[in-house]
Amino acid sequence: MAALVKNEKKLHLKKRIAHTGRNILLNKEKYFLILPGVVWYAIFAYIPLFGLSLAFKKFIAKDGIFGSPWVGMVNFENVFADPAFAQSILTTLRINAGRLVFVFPFPIFFALLFNEVRIGRFKKVLQSVFTFPHFLSWVIVASIMINILGQQGLVNSFLKLVFGIQPIKFLGTPSYFQPLVYITDIWKSAGWSAIIYMAAIAGIDIEQYEAAEIDGASRLQRMWYITLPGIKSTIVVLFILAVGYLMSGGFEQIFNLSNAATWKVAETLDMYIYRITFRGSVDFSFSAAVSLFRSVINLVLLLAADRISKRIGGSGLLA
Amino acid sequence: MPAKKGRRYVRNRFELLDGVILTLLIIHAIIIIVPFISVIGTSFATQREAAASKLMLFPTKEPTIDNYYRLFQDPRIVIGYKTTFLILLIGVPVNMFLTTSLAYGMTRTNYPGAKMIFYLILLTMLFNGGIVPVYLLMMQLGLIDTIWSIIFAYGVNTFYFIVMRTYMISLPESLVESAKIDGAGEWRILFQIILPLSKPILATVLLFFAVDRWNEWFNAMIFLRRKDLIPLQLVLRNIVMDATIVGSLSIAGPRVPRFTEGIQCATIMVTMLPVMCFFPFLQKYFVKGIMIGAIKA
Repeated sequence: MAALVKNEKKLHLKKRIAHTGRNILLNKEKYFLILPGVVWYAIFAYIPLFGLSLAFKKFIAKDGIFGSPWVGMVNFENVFADPAFAQSILTTLRINAGRLVFVFPFPIFFALLFNEVRIGRFKKVLQSVFTFPHFLSWVIVASIMINILGQQGLVNSFLKLVFGIQPIKFLGTPSYFQPLVYITDIWKSAGWSAIIYMAAIAGIDIEQYEAAEIDGASRLQRMWYITLPGIKSTIVVLFILAVGYLMSGGFEQIFNLSNAATWKVAETLDMYIYRITFRGSVDFSFSAAVSLFRSVINLVLLLAADRISKRIGGSGLLA
Repeated sequence: MPAKKGRRYVRNRFELLDGVILTLLIIHAIIIIVPFISVIGTSFATQREAAASKLMLFPTKEPTIDNYYRLFQDPRIVIGYKTTFLILLIGVPVNMFLTTSLAYGMTRTNYPGAKMIFYLILLTMLFNGGIVPVYLLMMQLGLIDTIWSIIFAYGVNTFYFIVMRTYMISLPESLVESAKIDGAGEWRILFQIILPLSKPILATVLLFFAVDRWNEWFNAMIFLRRKDLIPLQLVLRNIVMDATIVGSLSIAGPRVPRFTEGIQCATIMVTMLPVMCFFPFLQKYFVKGIMIGAIKA
C-alpha cells in the first residue's frame, strides 16, 4: 500500500518535472529576455550582498572576499568598541527624526495650497519652479548654497544691508548644520514630493466638495474637513515609510553640505562608513561589519514600516 | 443649469484666501529662484563690482564673460564634459536595455522561476550591502579607474523597473492574445506591439536615467582616481568645495588674479545648464512617471 502511494507520488513528481520542463521550453524567449537583467542583479547586487560575509572574516587582499579566513565576531567587537560608531547612530537618528518633524509636513502644505490655485497657466509655471531643484544633484545644490550663504554671499549682504548684522557663518557653525539640512531639503524637494499628495487630492470625489458648498462650508473648512481627511491615508503611509528610512538616506546631502568645521555633528552612519572605508587606513572587514549592521537595521525598519502600513489599510513597500 | 452657473461664479471670485495662498506660494517661488539668479549674476560679474556693491543680484555696471573664459582654460572642465557625455552615451542605453527587457520579460510571472526572480529583485530594495562590498567587487573585477565601473554600478533601477512593468501590465492583454493567435512570436509582440504602446513610459524612464547619469558623482568619486576621467559633477565639487580627494585645487595658477566666486558660479552654471534648458519641456514626463509610481506605491 505504502509502496503504491510512493509510486504514485513518484509518478506525480515525474509528471510535474515534465510539465515544468515543457513550460521552460515554451517560455525560452522570456528567459532570454530577462537574462541580461538577471545577470546584472546577480553580479552587482547579490555578489556584494554575499560579500558582506566579510564582516565575519579577516580580509586578505590576495585571497579575496570569499577566500579570506573566518574570524567570528571579532570585527563586530571592534565596531561596538568604537565610540564614533555609536555617535554616528545617534547623529543619524537625530537628523532624520528632525526631518520627520520639520521637513515631512511641507509637501502636504504645498499640495493643499497648490490645489487652491485656480489660474491654470500660473499654476504650471509655479509647478515648474517648485519641482526643478529636485533634478539637480546635491553637488550643485550645495554649491549654490555655499555661494549664497558664504561670508560675502547674498544672504549675508542682505542681512547687513537691512539689519546691519555682521556676516554669519551659516555653513561653518555646528549648531546651524541641522537647520541647514532641513531648509535645503525643503528647498530642493518639497515641491516634487507634493506631487504625490496632489495626485491623492485629485482622487477625492468632487461631489463631497459640492455638497459641502451647498451646506455653506467655507473654503478653509473644505480644505480642513474634506481635502485633508481625503489624503490622510497617503500621509500616514508616506510617514511610516519615512520612519522606515530613519537610519538611511540623506548621505549625498550631508556629504556635500558638511565641511571640516561641522563634520562632528554631520557624521551620520553613512558618513562614518565613508570615512572609515575611503579615508585613512582601511580595514575592509571592519567596514563590512558596519555595513552589515546598517543593512540589517534598515531591513528591520523597512519591514516593520511595510507591516504597519499594510495593517492600517495602505499599500506596502512591495506590491 | 442655474446651480452650476452659480457655482462657477463663486469659483471665479477672487477672495482674500486666494491672495494669502498666492502670496505664500510666490514667496516660496522667490526663495527658490533668487539663489539661481544670484549664481547666474555672480558668474557674469567682475571681482570689482561684486566687492563694491552692497547687494548684487546681477551685475549692471560691467557684466563680463571673463569667468567663463577662465573656466574653459581649466583642462578639468573639458575632461568633465567628456567623461559625463561618455557616461551618458554608454550608460543610458545600457540602463534602458537592461530595464526594458527585464520589465517586459517580467510582465507575466507565470513561467517557472519567474516569481522567485521577481521577489529577489524586489528584495534588493530592502536589503543591500552598501558601497563597501561593491567597491571590493569592482576591485576584483579590475574595473576600478575604468568607465565601466560607473556604467555597471548603476544598471537596473528597481523603482523604474517596477514603474515600467506596471505600465506594461496595464496594456490590454487582448492585443497580445490576438497577436499570438495570428502566430506572432515573443519578439514580434515585443517590438511591434508592446514597445510602440509603451512609448510614454519609455520616454519617462529614459529621462530619469539621463538625469541620474548626468548627476552621477558618488560612484565616480569612489571608483575613479584618474585625473583624466572625472565627471562634471565632481569637477564642480573640486572647484567649489575644499577637495583633497581628486588632486589639486588651483584653477589658473596662483599668479593670475582671479575672481574665485565668479569662476565657481560659472562652474555651477555649466553643470546645471543642460538640465535647466531641457527641464521645462520634459517636466510633464517626470510628473507622469512619479504618478505611475505613486499609484503603485
